[in-house]
Amino acid sequence: MRRGKILAIKWGMNPNSSSLGVDVTFLLAGATVLAVITPIVGALLRWRKPAAR
Amino acid sequence: MRATAIARLAARGVDAVRGAVARVREARRWPARRVRIERFGAIVQMIAPRALVFVDRAMARQVGVTADAHGATMPEPALWAGPETELGELPLSAPLEAHLQLTNRCDAGCQGCYTGASAEGAPGEWGLAEWTRAIDELADAGVFHVALGGGESATLPWLGALADHARRRGIIPNLTTSGLAGLDALLAISDRFGQINVSLDGLGATYAQVRGFDGFARADAAIRRLRAAKREVGINVVVTRHNFDELDALFAYAADHRLSELELLRFKPSGRGARAYDQLRCSDAQHRAFLPTILAAAKRHAVRVKVDCSYTPMLAHHRPDRALLAQLAVYGCTGGDFLIGAKPAGQLTACSFAAPPPALAGLRPKVSELRAYWDAPDAFGAFRRWRDAAPPCATCAYHALCRGGCKVVSAHVTGDLAAPDPECPRVVDHRAAAPARVRLPVV
Repeated sequence: MRRGKILAIKWGMNPNSSSLGVDVTFLLAGATVLAVITPIVGALLRWRKPAAR
Repeated sequence: MRATAIARLAARGVDAVRGAVARVREARRWPARRVRIERFGAIVQMIAPRALVFVDRAMARQVGVTADAHGATMPEPALWAGPETELGELPLSAPLEAHLQLTNRCDAGCQGCYTGASAEGAPGEWGLAEWTRAIDELADAGVFHVALGGGESATLPWLGALADHARRRGIIPNLTTSGLAGLDALLAISDRFGQINVSLDGLGATYAQVRGFDGFARADAAIRRLRAAKREVGINVVVTRHNFDELDALFAYAADHRLSELELLRFKPSGRGARAYDQLRCSDAQHRAFLPTILAAAKRHAVRVKVDCSYTPMLAHHRPDRALLAQLAVYGCTGGDFLIGAKPAGQLTACSFAAPPPALAGLRPKVSELRAYWDAPDAFGAFRRWRDAAPPCATCAYHALCRGGCKVVSAHVTGDLAAPDPECPRVVDHRAAAPARVRLPVV
């Protein structure tokens, strides 16, 4: 079976009722840090599987 | 200096761990929607850390979204009957979040208020019963979060009941408040909200310069009291030419008050903001300096920074790695796709700044009719036709992410919702090279 892929991660929640807020703090750290974090997120998702659609 | 930075990072770490523990407990009390199927795969919600994770179909199968509660495989979702699409290729099956303007009542009278809020409010404002039905519709559509605002929603006597209902339906309610009214009532229900941000458009005298009255002391007091009651408290800052040079001090303020985030919003020519736009909007030089300024401040003060969707052209100006932006879900205008808005009488809009979309077959939808409208041909009009872009957007490498910038600014300045964002540095340069009909001066 093809290994699945995380396409994007939208961090945090948006309390702002006028527009969509995106966390850009990761632009400081760059792609390397995100490349480390993404597999961890993948592992967390596999560990705690969503129960239903 | 170094010791201060280490102490600040340590405090942030402690806050993050305590926050994660609290959110796991909160999720047991109020289970939130975990997953939604999409044509590209699925969106899975995580609580600790807080994130919406977009995964392809293979990953969705691996994390069990096609299995029932006992792990048995179910038939493939109907949305997967067609070919697997790319994220962003088609509108989502429903918004990620809905921005509900619960009321247009507010006594503050800010000169740049994007809703033109007043003490009288809007005609025909909905009450608890109507907004409860709207939450039901949003939950049935698969919406993850709502952002509640106004006017000043904290003064609504039924705000807690509505937040409770959203939680019961698996939607996480978040809130923006001015902090100028309704604070005691809000403190009593602050645990219902995922995140609360207080609008703070400047420190000390700058607050009055931006808003037109001196409300800093009250907003500051509200931030302190909310932070004492709750960890997930931040500030929203509408960036104007008056407070741009104070951004570093605002990051320092957020760090000193151990706030969870600072969200920066571009000034929009909407409501009373349309009249104040020429006096308050940032200059072209400030827009070009925006990204390096905020990243330097975020690093210096160890503060998490978010920017609103309309800033994507100013991010793209610095040519960041497109793959990295895509991985962070940094998009420009996603009105009528990732997000929707609703006016105080329930009218559905593509975003909070936009007018209700053109009627389709005589239907001007309410937010409580979202699903009937969402898949209609030409729903949300120009907001979903961003691919039909004029130069220079048509040849911009970031267009698939940026989607032409802020349509509300375009409509105000050029009269055309679909025109390229006139404040985008690339658009400014393009027009300087080939003088055009735009009346916005470069300042």
